[in-house]
Amino acid sequence: MGAHVHDEPRKPKVKHDGAKKHVIAFIASLVLTALAFAAVAFEAIPVGFTVPFIVGLAFVQALFQLFFWMHMDQKGHEFARISIFAGLTFILIAIIVFVFWVWW
Amino acid sequence: MATHHVNAVLPDEPEKATLEGKNKILGFWLFLGGETVLFGSLFATFIALRDQTNGGPTSQQLFDMPLVALATLLLLTSSLTSVFAVLALHKKDLKKMQAWMTVTVILGLGFLALEIYEFMHYVHMGHKMTSGAFGSAFYTLVGFHGAHVAFGILWILTVQLQTVKKGLTVVTAPKFYVASLYWHFIDVVWVFIFTVVYLMGMIGGKVG
Repeated sequence: MGAHVHDEPRKPKVKHDGAKKHVIAFIASLVLTALAFAAVAFEAIPVGFTVPFIVGLAFVQALFQLFFWMHMDQKGHEFARISIFAGLTFILIAIIVFVFWVWW
Repeated sequence: MATHHVNAVLPDEPEKATLEGKNKILGFWLFLGGETVLFGSLFATFIALRDQTNGGPTSQQLFDMPLVALATLLLLTSSLTSVFAVLALHKKDLKKMQAWMTVTVILGLGFLALEIYEFMHYVHMGHKMTSGAFGSAFYTLVGFHGAHVAFGILWILTVQLQTVKKGLTVVTAPKFYVASLYWHFIDVVWVFIFTVVYLMGMIGGKVG
């Protein structure tokens, strides 16, 4: 039992990043959201380009949140990546099929 | 103090300290992959049917930008507060974690209240589940997301209550971590809902 008498606080083996990274992801999400809303509200960019523009912004924001907030940037998340990107690939095909084939 | 002792021996990443905790997180990611497909098929259906109003109000007549912006802000902020809860979890600060989780739940309730008000308003304007393909696709997609928010709130609350009783342990920590993953995922889905359903629905009117 002698080895365990020291009750000093243990040093963490795993170093965790602080709140900074997550606040940056939050601000980035806010900016991306504001850009998308502004693009539609003020018609700041050519109308035909608005849809690809805001959908692109949505994907960037989603990746920010997946990698920072849901920790997909950390080690040991290979399965998480396979899971999400497999699902994403599958549904992108479904969406393309629905959009281009249903009314043609 | 007993609780102090428990915290002192709690491992660094309590949510991944046991095989059960690890498996829970792994299994949860598989579930999220399935949820992606589920929401994706609802999105595909909505995109294909969003112009089929059957004589009812169109999305351009219905949607109100400030309301959607407020709902988006509430849910986005709640996602950040649940990140703070997980950071507190890693610092083994139970009080702080519970506080951030409570803020998350309150913001989630605010979002839900807005959505209920919004749906009631739409039904009043003649936009119903049965009014046409647009109505059915809209309420199925957005309502399903709202149901996820409601379930998430109940889930976080029950885990919070259990932790009041049991404290932060290798058993309760994975539950918080997984609930927080679920909450982020709901926010990621909302990013696509406000883009595809609301913003794209508002553009159409201006194009013609």
